[in-house]
Amino acid sequence: MAKELLKVTDVYKSFGGLTAVNGVSFSIYEGETVGLMGPNGAGKTTLINLISGTLPVDSGKIEFAGTDITRLPPWKRCKLGLARTYQIPRPFPGLLTSANIVVGAVCGKDMTERSLMDAAAEAMHYLEIVGLFHKRNIKAEELSLYELRLLELARALATTPKLILLDEVVAGLNPAEADEAVKLIERIKDYFGVTVLWIEHVMAVLMKAASRVIVLHYGQKIAEGSPQEVARNPQVIEAYLGEEVNV
Amino acid sequence: MSIIEWERDRVVLRLFGVKWDWAIEPRYWRPHIIGIGILFLTPVILYFVYPPLLATFIEGSLLPCIVLPVILMLIGTGRFNFGPQFFVGVGGFTAGLLSIHFGLGPWVTLLAAAAAGLLTGLIFSPLTLLAGGIYFALLTMLLPLIFLEITFVFEIFKGDTGLSGIPFLVNFPNFMLNQLLYAFIALALMLIYLAITDRVLRSRYALQMAAINDDEEVANGLGVNINRIKIISFIGPAVMISIVGWFYAHYFGAFSSITYLPITFMMKVFMALVIGGRGAWAIVLGGYVVTLIEVLLIRFAGDLSPILFPITMLALLLIFREEGIFGLYRKRHYRDYKPRFKITK
Repeated sequence: MAKELLKVTDVYKSFGGLTAVNGVSFSIYEGETVGLMGPNGAGKTTLINLISGTLPVDSGKIEFAGTDITRLPPWKRCKLGLARTYQIPRPFPGLLTSANIVVGAVCGKDMTERSLMDAAAEAMHYLEIVGLFHKRNIKAEELSLYELRLLELARALATTPKLILLDEVVAGLNPAEADEAVKLIERIKDYFGVTVLWIEHVMAVLMKAASRVIVLHYGQKIAEGSPQEVARNPQVIEAYLGEEVNV
Repeated sequence: MSIIEWERDRVVLRLFGVKWDWAIEPRYWRPHIIGIGILFLTPVILYFVYPPLLATFIEGSLLPCIVLPVILMLIGTGRFNFGPQFFVGVGGFTAGLLSIHFGLGPWVTLLAAAAAGLLTGLIFSPLTLLAGGIYFALLTMLLPLIFLEITFVFEIFKGDTGLSGIPFLVNFPNFMLNQLLYAFIALALMLIYLAITDRVLRSRYALQMAAINDDEEVANGLGVNINRIKIISFIGPAVMISIVGWFYAHYFGAFSSITYLPITFMMKVFMALVIGGRGAWAIVLGGYVVTLIEVLLIRFAGDLSPILFPITMLALLLIFREEGIFGLYRKRHYRDYKPRFKITK
């Protein structure tokens, strides 16, 4: 039985009168690729923000690798092995592509003795893996959307994470790029042995890539199971397609 | 064998069995050493050719001593401080008041000014955590203005006449010799600040600072302890700027809030930053250019200089806003990091 890596227990988050995450609980085990699905406004990105620490939870508990991280700042969560990407890529635009990754390699782990040269050498390795080595000496602001997604992935990997939170990595990509991105993530998962929590709007992607899927609707978890089980779940069908109407 | 030999690409000097050689080809030149050499020669030349310009040189050397810490603060906090002259006031008044009331010498007041900068930096550093964008700019702009009002309210600061009778740092009978020594001290201070800035910007902390400047939320998510970096980046430069205030107090033997705390002083700092361009040496160049323009306008435009100075600055700002004067020389370094001025957020 794989070890429990992330445990989210009864987490709530409201913005004013709107409850974005409403008592969500789930666990993720080492080595899994878990998909987090839901229609627009379901609370997926808010949940990722709560797990990564970008937003504070109103109530509930988040544990990561046996440590209660509910009140920890994001940088401490990162050092514990929690990395993320963003739905709209957020590179450090003024820095070179390679320097973007060096930030992750230098700061993402507790290695105070590590020199910049060591970190730079490691960054090149991640750039090669995602296929951005030839872009290492240009500024991140000059990269295309697809390249920015690869950069975010490499930057997250540079922190040597145990769990990566991927926020809609194929959004805005053409089918060929999306296919490449999915293959790359699968390859990275095997190569580095990381666990993945993958938010995705495109159902077909998660159906193929995830071993387990969690579905959110209006901030609540409405289904959890294998992709096939979830796809047959009437509540999920209703959330995505709406109620049947007799005319 | 001759003492000096001209070879194809170098000059060789042989003396007492020791050989020195200098490459002639420009690609082997060391612009930093040449720059430092020129800067050290300039006061000597001015001393013999036109000594009144030594004061301009001193002012020009001190302006980068404020701009360089402001740049470190900008990168490390991701926020632009619109009132760095507040710390000039802190350092200057600390040095002045302790000298006048307790008879302390300049070297003791140097420590006191640095300590006062550290303390006020520490007190106001939470602003970097609490406010961002326009709010941080406004709050920091208000600090020196509030301090200015305080100096009018409390008699100890002597209002608009300011403190006088502060002991001089150098006090030889020959005034021009004093000016020459002050020029070298100001230059040394600037070169120390340049070295500190260069050292910081080549370290791993610079990468974290740049990450904060670009996107502090993402930096936080990548393991950068943003609060620690922001606070250090606020306090360190605050100490550096306070020391400039200490120098002003012991250089003029007087220190007045009306000279250093108003926004007009900040404008000079800002102009030196923008007109010079990207990079530490550009700021040095900017400092001298701004000071020289101010002096030339006072000399040739007389009463009109307070009006012409901002207009000239505005014109230069429009011309050099992208790369600065230094950019004319360093355009090929397009990959250098350019900190972002984020006034809105």
